[in-house]
Amino acid sequence: MKESSTVPEEVKQRINWLLIFIIVSFCFLAINLWYLQVIKGEEFKERAVKNCIRSLVEEAPRGHIYDRKGEVLVTNRPVVVVSIIPEEVENLEELSKRLGGIIDLPEEVIREKVEKHSAEPFKPVEILEDCPLALTIEIEERKTELKGVVLEVKPRRNYLNQELAAHSLGYVGEIDQEELQKLGNPQLQGGDIVGKAGLEKYYDSFLRGKKGQKEVEVDALGREVATLFSQKPVAGNDLLLTMDKDLQTYAENLLEGKRGSIILSHPYSGEILVLANKPSFDPNWFTEEISYADWEKISLDPDYPLINRAVQSIYSPGSTFKIVTALAALEEGVTDSQRKIYCSGNFKLADQVFTCWKRGGHGNLNLIGALAHSCNVYFYTLGKELGVQKMGRYMDKLGLGEKVGIDLPAEATGVIPSPEWKQREFKEIWFPGDDVNLSIGQGYLLLTPLQMHSIICAVATAGDIYRPHLVKEIISPEGEVFEKTEPEISKKVNISANTFQLIQKGLRATILEGTGWQANTKELSLAGKTGTAQNPQGESHAWFVGFAPLEKPEVCITVFVENGGEGGEVAAPLAREMLEKYFNLPEPE
Amino acid sequence: MKEKLGKLVENLDYTLLSAVVILCFYGLLVLYSSTRSGLGSIPEDPFFYVKRQFLWMVVGFIGLAILVFIDYHHFVKYSSLLYFLTVFLLIIVMFFGRTTYGARRWLSLGPFDFQPSEFAKVALIIFLADFLAKNKLKLDNFLYFLWPFAYTGVLMFLVFIQPDLGTSLVYLAILIILLFVVGVKLKYLATVFLIALSSFPILWFFLLKEYQKRRIILFLNPQLDPLGGGYNIIQSKIAIGSGGFLGKGLLGGLQSQLKFLPAQHTDFIFSVVGEELGFVGAILLLGLYTVVLWRGIKIASEARDLLGALLATGAVSFLFFHIMVNMGMAMGVLPATGLPLPFLSYGGSFMVSNLLVIGILLNVEVHKIKW
Ligand SMILES: [Zn+2]
Repeated sequence: MKESSTVPEEVKQRINWLLIFIIVSFCFLAINLWYLQVIKGEEFKERAVKNCIRSLVEEAPRGHIYDRKGEVLVTNRPVVVVSIIPEEVENLEELSKRLGGIIDLPEEVIREKVEKHSAEPFKPVEILEDCPLALTIEIEERKTELKGVVLEVKPRRNYLNQELAAHSLGYVGEIDQEELQKLGNPQLQGGDIVGKAGLEKYYDSFLRGKKGQKEVEVDALGREVATLFSQKPVAGNDLLLTMDKDLQTYAENLLEGKRGSIILSHPYSGEILVLANKPSFDPNWFTEEISYADWEKISLDPDYPLINRAVQSIYSPGSTFKIVTALAALEEGVTDSQRKIYCSGNFKLADQVFTCWKRGGHGNLNLIGALAHSCNVYFYTLGKELGVQKMGRYMDKLGLGEKVGIDLPAEATGVIPSPEWKQREFKEIWFPGDDVNLSIGQGYLLLTPLQMHSIICAVATAGDIYRPHLVKEIISPEGEVFEKTEPEISKKVNISANTFQLIQKGLRATILEGTGWQANTKELSLAGKTGTAQNPQGESHAWFVGFAPLEKPEVCITVFVENGGEGGEVAAPLAREMLEKYFNLPEPE
Repeated sequence: MKEKLGKLVENLDYTLLSAVVILCFYGLLVLYSSTRSGLGSIPEDPFFYVKRQFLWMVVGFIGLAILVFIDYHHFVKYSSLLYFLTVFLLIIVMFFGRTTYGARRWLSLGPFDFQPSEFAKVALIIFLADFLAKNKLKLDNFLYFLWPFAYTGVLMFLVFIQPDLGTSLVYLAILIILLFVVGVKLKYLATVFLIALSSFPILWFFLLKEYQKRRIILFLNPQLDPLGGGYNIIQSKIAIGSGGFLGKGLLGGLQSQLKFLPAQHTDFIFSVVGEELGFVGAILLLGLYTVVLWRGIKIASEARDLLGALLATGAVSFLFFHIMVNMGMAMGVLPATGLPLPFLSYGGSFMVSNLLVIGILLNVEVHKIKW
């Protein structure tokens, strides 16, 4: 009963066209599939993994820093950080307004911060560091209307005594590009906190610890579905310092209102008990987000509060340097314990006249008397007879011109003049007058207080310079001693014991009957030398270097006051007070 | 009667029927993979969606079976009634419909939701096929040629304001293809196309809602807003692309299992296919669709009369438009209009309407001979 179709040919033709259109369309789909899945497949596979695997970093708490008696100087305190996860925000404008109202931040600031990080929508963007407790509670309570806001607890560096020992401790801050490359540690990445100055910088690799890492699989809502890999953070090592907090505090009080340094150390181990500098700063400033204006104020302060003067600044040593001239002259046979030189108050060299600080002159003096009274003419004579070459040899022996080797960054090495040096710097020859100036620590010579301290240590130990250090032990988070700083002789000065003995006598005489009398305490056999360094910046720098007791030196001390005036009048009394404190002597009436 | 039934069953296009059955099970498998770990607030039962979808499939096949055996010449008698019933239902939905995701599309029928706009697709095919077959000759008159646009336009408008741009475009696609096949002058179609194109600015500025405009903009540059609307397209591309040649295996898709794909059981189910079953699985799917459409075209051109041919063409154009737009959207080569994928996407009304148009195809096929 089959009937033939009555569908017009024209319609059948159009149906065939439709078929062709369908086939072409499906080919188009198939080609696209091939492109997406086969040609671009690998690329998309990577993106898929990135999409779902999130790497979380848990910060490791930095190690603590203790003084030599175990008192905490630097620790971490937990701060609440308010962040926003851009991905979870439904309405940024609304959220910024609400959150801004709570934490008192303009909503545009919040919006900008979040929008700047929209390329990584799952990474929390820090909005407020160190959120006060009351606000933290409020945010916690209003959580439902603050979708996308997260509160995280992070450790933050806390310097418990503010300005105390700030230059030694240093401070921390966010790593910069240069440090990232230089430190070359694959663990480090942008945003990490590293030591920027002082011990924080020098011992950064010990203090820093190891960040914890967690790789988690998350679903589209950012919920953690599974932990793929987890490594707990390892806290940094603690530092036990050689520094004594009480003495350090005392020294800083002595320097209050002045610009200067006090160094106190054990000459037979190199342990530094006091390394005080004024003016100072509070390292806590740097752990907060310091504003550009604040930074400018600190860094452009004409008193340079950030500078560790004892280690990083160089000055004319003045008469304290006569110790070196005396050492050289004795060793070279230019003088001995007997030789006397007459001081009329003037010293003539060709047509130049150099004066003694005592206008009327000292009369006849031997070496011990010359040291005690700091007679310039005596040392001019020695300097002229020795000449710069021989002087240079002894500066070399004492390690001047090199770093002393303290465990702090950016130690200065001073300016050690020589004919070659002068030729290079000034295109001038070395004049005999330069010898004369050098002999009393004036002229081109510039040293750090630490270098001067190193010289007095050499005198105290009769030739052994121990490497000065601030860190006694590095202690692991479990409380085990990880590394102990053993006393190390960094420089053995090849000078005879007799020479040193003679110098020691001279320095003792300085305290008993000479320029250092204001440092004298009758209970203590102190030996020392004052210095009053003239300088183009204005008032003289006041110096005092010394050690005690004479028979068996226990401490060496250096006091330096920038533009302070006479060494004997300004530096020596400070040294006395410091030593009285150290040796627990009763205050004189 | 019994003898006739036997003959009909004997003459069924089993190639088409098998392809559809395979597609249905393929769909259940993928649906299971994309919903077994629950979606949002839905109960814990991993088979929750699969069970519901299967139930609708059964309903759809019953509808299909009934439809096959009523000669299409009988049921086109009610085509006008069908059309007006549809308009009525769409108006009801406007006032009493249930709203989800900001669109009012559903009517509640006891425990189930019914989507009149899906039913309208089937009704429109029947109505237009009947209308065009009867008035083929009059269509040479341009004014008369505009009549079917008016009928379709009413449905399009009612769906467009739900708002559901995608579905209203399906109606338009069915109309255009049917007009083309019935043999209207191509220059008429071209004229309408030009008018539509020139009215686009009006559409853009007055009729399109903000989200629809954004969809079009985002289609042009999805990276513009990776966490807004464009996010879907990017995630979908990542999912499909990362499937590679062989796929990550059923239940093994990172993107799908971790629910990075929005609407991964409905509009974006093809992304799950792409990721978990790879190029091989996607091509297999495309192949199954090709079989269905090829058989559909074959039925159309072998139909007994123009009415049969148009009914079959309507069914083919409906399926084709959905497949093309959905896959194109998932791959990011066509704008996201939110159309589901036949036999795969979750959704009862859609599943039933898919099976009903297969019923129409089989009906035309078995009735090419007069019994
Ligand atoms: Zn003199």
